[in-house]
Amino acid sequence: MIKKIICLLLVLSLVLQGGCWSRKELSDLAIIMAAGIDRTPDGNIRLTVQIARPRAFGGGTVRPSAAQENNAWVLSQTGETVLDAERELEKKVSRKIYWGHMVILVLGQEAAREGIRSLINFFSRSPNARETLWVLVARGKAEDLLNSHSQLENTSAQSTGSVLRDAVGVPVMLKDLIMMLASKGTNPTLPFLELTASGAPQGPGMKENIPEAKNKQQKVTETHAEITLTGTGVFKDDRLVGQLDVPDTRGLLWLTNKIGPGEITIPSPAEPGKKISVNITRGKTKIEPFYDGQNARFEIKITMEGDLWEQQSTEDLTDPKIFAAIEKRMAQRIEQRVRSVLDKAQFDYGLDIFAFGESFHRKYKKEWAALKDRWDEVFANADINIAVEAHIRRTGLTTKRIF
Amino acid sequence: MLEKGKIDSRQAVFLNITMIIATALLVVPAMTTAHANQDAWLSSVLAALLVLPIAWITVKLSSLFPGKTIIEYLEEILGRWPAKVIGFLYLFWFVHICSLMIREYGDFIVTAFMPETPLIVFHIVVVTIGAYTIKQGLEVLARTNQIFLPLILFSLVMIMSLATPEKDLNRLLPVLEASCVDIFKGSLAPLAWFGEISTFTMIIPFLKKPTEAWRIAFISILLVGFIFTLLVIGIVTTFGPSVAAMTYPVLNETRVINIAKVIERMDPVIMSVWVMGGFVKITFFYYVIVLGSAQWLKLSEYRPLTMPVGIILLALSMAIADNLLESIHFLANVWVFYAISTFELGIPLVLLIIAVIRGRGGNNN
Repeated sequence: MIKKIICLLLVLSLVLQGGCWSRKELSDLAIIMAAGIDRTPDGNIRLTVQIARPRAFGGGTVRPSAAQENNAWVLSQTGETVLDAERELEKKVSRKIYWGHMVILVLGQEAAREGIRSLINFFSRSPNARETLWVLVARGKAEDLLNSHSQLENTSAQSTGSVLRDAVGVPVMLKDLIMMLASKGTNPTLPFLELTASGAPQGPGMKENIPEAKNKQQKVTETHAEITLTGTGVFKDDRLVGQLDVPDTRGLLWLTNKIGPGEITIPSPAEPGKKISVNITRGKTKIEPFYDGQNARFEIKITMEGDLWEQQSTEDLTDPKIFAAIEKRMAQRIEQRVRSVLDKAQFDYGLDIFAFGESFHRKYKKEWAALKDRWDEVFANADINIAVEAHIRRTGLTTKRIF
Repeated sequence: MLEKGKIDSRQAVFLNITMIIATALLVVPAMTTAHANQDAWLSSVLAALLVLPIAWITVKLSSLFPGKTIIEYLEEILGRWPAKVIGFLYLFWFVHICSLMIREYGDFIVTAFMPETPLIVFHIVVVTIGAYTIKQGLEVLARTNQIFLPLILFSLVMIMSLATPEKDLNRLLPVLEASCVDIFKGSLAPLAWFGEISTFTMIIPFLKKPTEAWRIAFISILLVGFIFTLLVIGIVTTFGPSVAAMTYPVLNETRVINIAKVIERMDPVIMSVWVMGGFVKITFFYYVIVLGSAQWLKLSEYRPLTMPVGIILLALSMAIADNLLESIHFLANVWVFYAISTFELGIPLVLLIIAVIRGRGGNNN
């Protein structure tokens, strides 16, 4: 009898409880796609979030009205900390804010200059935000960057995530940033993005304001703007101190052994003024540090393989001499790129942003203990030799140009 | 004998592994890395070597008094009243670590997955299931674990291999940068966890082949050391020395898995590993307390003690720390020394010396 009563109670409790405790229905969540952080003049945090509007994500491939409608809702709120600002947002947002699907974290330029450690802490601590989200720096305010649309993706956050992964630049996940901040052997770098005019607006909702174009060029404000990768932000410890342009970013990629798809254009050895472009298929960089007790020296060995895909000139590629000359020019070109960014890092900023310190640390573990606290100084005075070996493996579907 | 069931050697090895690795995989890697940085895996190997004497002493003592648990053979070594005192201390120690484990178990689920649910809910659930298992006896626990452990190991291997794209073996370099002292310091936390093998003494009498006890302990330690070292290497190659700042590095490791944007968000896997492993570990110690108390009180049956002990464990698990950091701080800075120096190594060593001096089998005449 008692057993029956207990069984009955258990079954009843199933009905009453049913796993309803702290349930999170999809229709009760405000899914954050992107967050941006700026600082207000009085030192508070201004949090901007891009919330996906679920209706715009609905099924079906043909949505004629989709272009007319904004797929995301962007709004900002000020608070003393990120969590405080989030609480303030809850006053406006009818659903529970959910960080789990966040793609990008945008740090405003000004806020980044004052230090990013305090800005990212919430995202590394909270179990909801993931350490795989992309972190980047916005030119100007993060708020303006997030207030934009994408022509191809549902939200500009998703489009930015894809651009970061695929385009020229050094994509940085939150976990990578944390490792860079924790390491004494490198200074962090983050991709630098801004809004640039990108074609005609494809619907009334797609017109953007490029912040600095306001008032000056009314025409520009009528255009459509996409978030664009325009370089790399350089940090001294956790403070933004400068910016590398796109060619220097390529140099940075070479030096950190992260070169991906890309191209190299060189002047033709035979006909001045005409250009040859080579598609990079493989690139590898080896860095070997040396230390004589006084000065550090680095030997950098870069090997690159590519396919020749465009030739404005008409030299005969089947001639090994010409082929060798092209390869030599390519090697010089890569060396120039690398040297340019090295010079900037060594002489303009005096900062090791290539994790050379870490490779030094691996080889000279005893000496490292004494050098780690003044590593940037050692790096700035180091001799760096670059040796580049470039090979063209294929020439596309054309061998010798006869037309 | 109080326990009628018998477990075979394979089940014993499985139980030992789960009993140690279940909680060791959570907070211990961070403690080790805090001292030894990228050399944490050396600390882990060292800990596995250092724990061998502990395992040997445990097994040796048991072999001198076949068919008896530590609570019983204490009396033969020390005489009645000292044995009661030391026996009580041992029971206290089991109660203490068991409630710590329950707390760790609940804290992890609340921190990482269910922040709105009160801690005590998870404690009640695990203790209730544990109590039910104990009523069924040791054999049932061993068989349950025989199902759980392969699942746990498979999940861990899967997590570690799926996270491979994020790993960089260079992060293990330079090797031996940490001084020997730091590596030793780093090995203390895993040593304290591995040293829980001393609890094996409570189930040696129920082995089908008690003569294989040393082999069982040795193989268990070997496997535990191997699994733990792999975990540490996996975590350090993914995150570098920044592991030291993480609460639960294996969870972070799980969260970075992203294969072609399809295989990602594997967090529930680590949750299930934790729930299965935590359940077996907590229940094992719960069982040891219940059995030990019954032997200490010389009862003819241990099952009536299940409920009272469960309630004590529940109450203690809530009262043992105010917050997560306090419990981790206690585990890292107090528990480690107190565990190794007294109950895992100190007392068994003294007991063994006394037993040998006074003659084998404790025939005190």
